[in-house]
Amino acid sequence: MEALSSLHKEAIREFLYKMADDQLILGHRNSEWTGLGPLLEEDIAFSSMAQDKLGHALALYTILHEHLGEKDPDTIAFTRNERELRCCHLVEYPIGGYDFSLTRHFLFDTAEHLRFEMLAGSAFEPLAQVARKIKGEIKYHVLHAQTWMKQLGSATEESKARMQSALNETMPLALGIFEASPFEAELAEHNIFAGEHELRNRWLEVIAPTVADAGLVLPDIDALTPAYGGRQGYHTEYLQPLLTEMTEVFRIDPTVEW
Amino acid sequence: MYGGGYIYDKSSPAEQHQDDPAKLAEFEAKIDRGEKIEPHDWMPRDYRKQLIRMIEQHAHSEIIGALPEGTWITRAPGFRRKLALMAKVQDEVGHGQLLYNAAETLGKPREEMINDLLSGKSKYSNVFNYPAKTWGDTAVIAWLIDAAAIVNQVTNSKGSYGPYCRALERICQEESFHLKYGHDTVVYLATGTPTQRAMVQEALTRWWPPIMHFFGPPDKVSVHTEKLMRWKVKLASNDDMRQQFLNMYVPKIWELGLTLPDPNLRKNDETGQWEYTEPDWDEFFRVINGEGPCNAERLAVRNAAEENGRWVRRALMKPVGQYTQPLC
Amino acid sequence: MPIISLDPRVTRLEIPEEQGLEPIQPNEYFETYEVFHQAKSGDKHIHVGSVHAPSAEMAFLFAKEQYGRRSKSYNIWIVRSSDITSIMSEDADIFATAPEKTYREAGGYKVREKINAFRKQHGSTQQSS
Ligand SMILES: [Fe+2]
Ligand SMILES: [Fe+2]
Repeated sequence: MEALSSLHKEAIREFLYKMADDQLILGHRNSEWTGLGPLLEEDIAFSSMAQDKLGHALALYTILHEHLGEKDPDTIAFTRNERELRCCHLVEYPIGGYDFSLTRHFLFDTAEHLRFEMLAGSAFEPLAQVARKIKGEIKYHVLHAQTWMKQLGSATEESKARMQSALNETMPLALGIFEASPFEAELAEHNIFAGEHELRNRWLEVIAPTVADAGLVLPDIDALTPAYGGRQGYHTEYLQPLLTEMTEVFRIDPTVEW
Repeated sequence: MYGGGYIYDKSSPAEQHQDDPAKLAEFEAKIDRGEKIEPHDWMPRDYRKQLIRMIEQHAHSEIIGALPEGTWITRAPGFRRKLALMAKVQDEVGHGQLLYNAAETLGKPREEMINDLLSGKSKYSNVFNYPAKTWGDTAVIAWLIDAAAIVNQVTNSKGSYGPYCRALERICQEESFHLKYGHDTVVYLATGTPTQRAMVQEALTRWWPPIMHFFGPPDKVSVHTEKLMRWKVKLASNDDMRQQFLNMYVPKIWELGLTLPDPNLRKNDETGQWEYTEPDWDEFFRVINGEGPCNAERLAVRNAAEENGRWVRRALMKPVGQYTQPLC
Repeated sequence: MPIISLDPRVTRLEIPEEQGLEPIQPNEYFETYEVFHQAKSGDKHIHVGSVHAPSAEMAFLFAKEQYGRRSKSYNIWIVRSSDITSIMSEDADIFATAPEKTYREAGGYKVREKINAFRKQHGSTQQSS
């Protein structure tokens, strides 16, 4: 990769951080289900996907380290405070019930799938390579999420009601995924990423039929206030406690190997 | 993880059944020839019962065993440890899944097994009733409890029941990752800063008594034990397995300069046997009977997990009452 | 007072100290499906175990992680356990005599001795190559 102009570099850095932080925080959250899931088999599947997310975060932090001069992945992930993170609010919330966790998984992973599909052709080659590599993993995540949505959305009165209210609750949060960055034009111009707005449109096209298939009602998007702020470092009350917990051992001595 | 070496056994001679002598002779001859018993084979009632009890306890130990290590799943330091711990705890859940399936081939549904776990009717390995107080504890558990479990599981994998042996074969492969991961983590702590070293030393000191308890008290020689040995349900005495474990791992602990809280622990070069202070077996039985530091929490958490997942399962349950069981 | 645990995840579950114990119902863990795993193209599918699942699709999702998370995989078949037909072991004797039917086997046909005897008696008419 030839020398990046400083604006260009800043745009990519910001872009990588927000994606990686989303993956880290959601992977961390979803790992909380390990050993506590609704069925042993599902416990195993959900844990694998949480591991995948952490793997994606690691791959993106590694690009930041190797191509953009940022610190090593462990330092990046385990020493920043909430103001330095760029994740969206959706991933910060506690796991809640399985209805909430599954719905979040469905909304986030669908967006992730489409995002990496777009990035497979990115002009920023290190990112394009990661996108192509993890394509299959995310395909499974989406299949998993869609199957659960369909089954629970059309099962009992209780499961329908739970899934519908989870959807209502998570939808404004999920819209926060697509909070525009100051560098949208820069990224599009250099063919790095076609933009959050474009991604959001593609996402709506995919989730709408799945939600309908599942027998659920998609909330009126235009009437919702997206949960923005995460991309600028403003977070929910849940993020800092999560970070404090996650880094408890690492912080005993961040300079040594564990 | 955890073969939970010790089979909690409250069967009395009165429970034992008389089986058809001809079929019994044929069954025993088959085991003598080194052949495996499969789910649809004729088997003595005691054999079925003992196996269900043993495999079920083993399965419970895996899913309850996921809890002490799970204690640190959100706090593992660094990507490498975080991913490995998640994968390890996931494997333990996976072992539970495989073992419940193996037990189910003998005719007891998974639902009943979980109910018996939650009601306290069926036991799990005693070591999981102790807390994982620090990150050092997870390292010691992953290394030494898994090591002890491997001794037990490798022994059991030579048993006579086909489905259990097959599950154990897969489990033992995964355990070798657990053991390496655990050893790696302990080595990093033991060779690290004074703080790290103290962390792992303290954990080791805490876990030594439960580790010595792991294989259970010395076996009582009884007709019952002798029969289980003949049927290859039990393959080695508790003391033999404990000796095997000490022989393999005490030197590896000592080479890291770590100490064990037993001044009498040494290998007798003449007999080739390890000598040690007899663990407190009264405490062992107290813990089995519910008085350990974490018994109540472990069962409460498992119960809460079942409770929280209930609506998901009930939503997808089929009205048909037909019970199906894994084939083999 | 809910349980305060060393495990922060458990503390967050807010488990009441006195919980009711509602038994798991029969069949609550669903039916079982058998899993056949194909490691790579060209390989046979091999039976590797089973999963509990509410449907075949779910069984596939579960089997993919329980039986394919470590090794190489190319495909997985899922079959409802109750759809598999097999025999009781006491009937395994229906197979007993099969290994004796040597007329089905290449090894059952040995004519070299006959040829050698023939050649010894008549002499070879052709140069052996
Ligand atoms: Fe295990
Ligand atoms: Fe293990």
